[in-house]
Amino acid sequence: MFLQRLNPSIKALTIMILVVLLAFIFEPMTPLLFLIWTVSITFIFGKVNFKKYALYFIPFVIFSFGMLWTSVVFADTPKNQDEIVVLLGMAYPRETLLTALALSIRVLNVAALSLLFVFTTNIVHFILSMMQQLRLPPKIAYAVLAGYRFLPMMRDEIKLIHDAHRIRGVNQAKTVTEKWNNYKRYSIPLLASAIRKAERTAIAMESKGFTGDKNRTFYRQFTVKKTDWLFPLIMLTGFLAALLAS
Amino acid sequence: MTNWRFKEIVVMAALSVVFGVVYLAFLPLGGVLAGIFGPIGYDFIFGIWFIVSIIAAYIIRKPGAAFLSETIAAMVEVLIGNAIGPMLIVTGMVQGIGAEAVFAATRWKNYSTWVLMAAGVGSAVTSFIYGYFMSGYAALAPGYVTAMFIVRMISGALIAGLLGKALSDGLAQTGVLSSFALGKEYRKRKAA
Repeated sequence: MFLQRLNPSIKALTIMILVVLLAFIFEPMTPLLFLIWTVSITFIFGKVNFKKYALYFIPFVIFSFGMLWTSVVFADTPKNQDEIVVLLGMAYPRETLLTALALSIRVLNVAALSLLFVFTTNIVHFILSMMQQLRLPPKIAYAVLAGYRFLPMMRDEIKLIHDAHRIRGVNQAKTVTEKWNNYKRYSIPLLASAIRKAERTAIAMESKGFTGDKNRTFYRQFTVKKTDWLFPLIMLTGFLAALLAS
Repeated sequence: MTNWRFKEIVVMAALSVVFGVVYLAFLPLGGVLAGIFGPIGYDFIFGIWFIVSIIAAYIIRKPGAAFLSETIAAMVEVLIGNAIGPMLIVTGMVQGIGAEAVFAATRWKNYSTWVLMAAGVGSAVTSFIYGYFMSGYAALAPGYVTAMFIVRMISGALIAGLLGKALSDGLAQTGVLSSFALGKEYRKRKAA
């Protein structure tokens, strides 16, 4: 698919620029139109699983709702107080309501843009591309990739620490407070083992010749092709169109 | 970056990975609080999202530790696949700069409790300025925004500063930090 094949750095930068542009918009129409545009692009060019997408989107709907009502209740006094809109039996200044709508739709729009990225990008490719296109130092990039590999190990480690505690008579946590106390008890051993693993990994990498030199070769090469520029073009056109139409 | 040992970078990355997971775990909690109290809900627990800066800087004690660890934690959050997307990396950088600025003000020499708390406040300040523009706090009443700001600074000082110090000290007592600045200081104190 088009979105999956895009250069990850170009994709990320485009999305960041769009999020910054959205921060300057305080009326609801532009983000609403652009939200529709973003979601359409995601499904047309990304073939994203709808159920999974919806599942990720729901928390943002909740947050957006929180944003909506606080922006109405705690709004700054509007300049134009005469225009009143009556909603659910309560009167609100029109300007306040519009700004509140704009802010909450912005939350949804930023979420849609982020999901476009998350659902269509292989994250290891993103790091490799950041190293090759955005000059992320190899020392940091490979340290992050190594750290990322610790994640599944950490799940095993938690199980291990949990079992070790049980053998020594710590009871299975049932209530929330007990669970919280258990996490407090696990935190230091978990961090300690992560640090030990990291030290060993670093020594192993250096002993096998990793210097962190920027003049290195890559097994997986990432380049910027002409078609990669289509994505920023499509998205910025959509944003401009939304801006002009509202 | 040149005076960093590679070991320190990987350990910093490992810490960032652990806290990246913790950060993600706290996002839904923040979301619930924000659903109830509005945006200020996040500010009560905002300090948790600065904690790796304080821990990494306190343990490694080199210029850039606070900034890089927070940036990497944000990268890890993107790696795991959170729904905030690549923009989160910028958020992490902004938060890291705040803590780093405080450590820079002491020329990366002083790591006493109050400096760590000030670093947490520093992250709160920069992250608030960033959030002010990106989330459109300008549209909210000044009193509410001020309350958010104060709550976030307190949260930064207490959760990031004090809890971060407590965790690092607990780690130092286990001895795993023996080849890092904090562990060395511990050994010196023990010998004395």
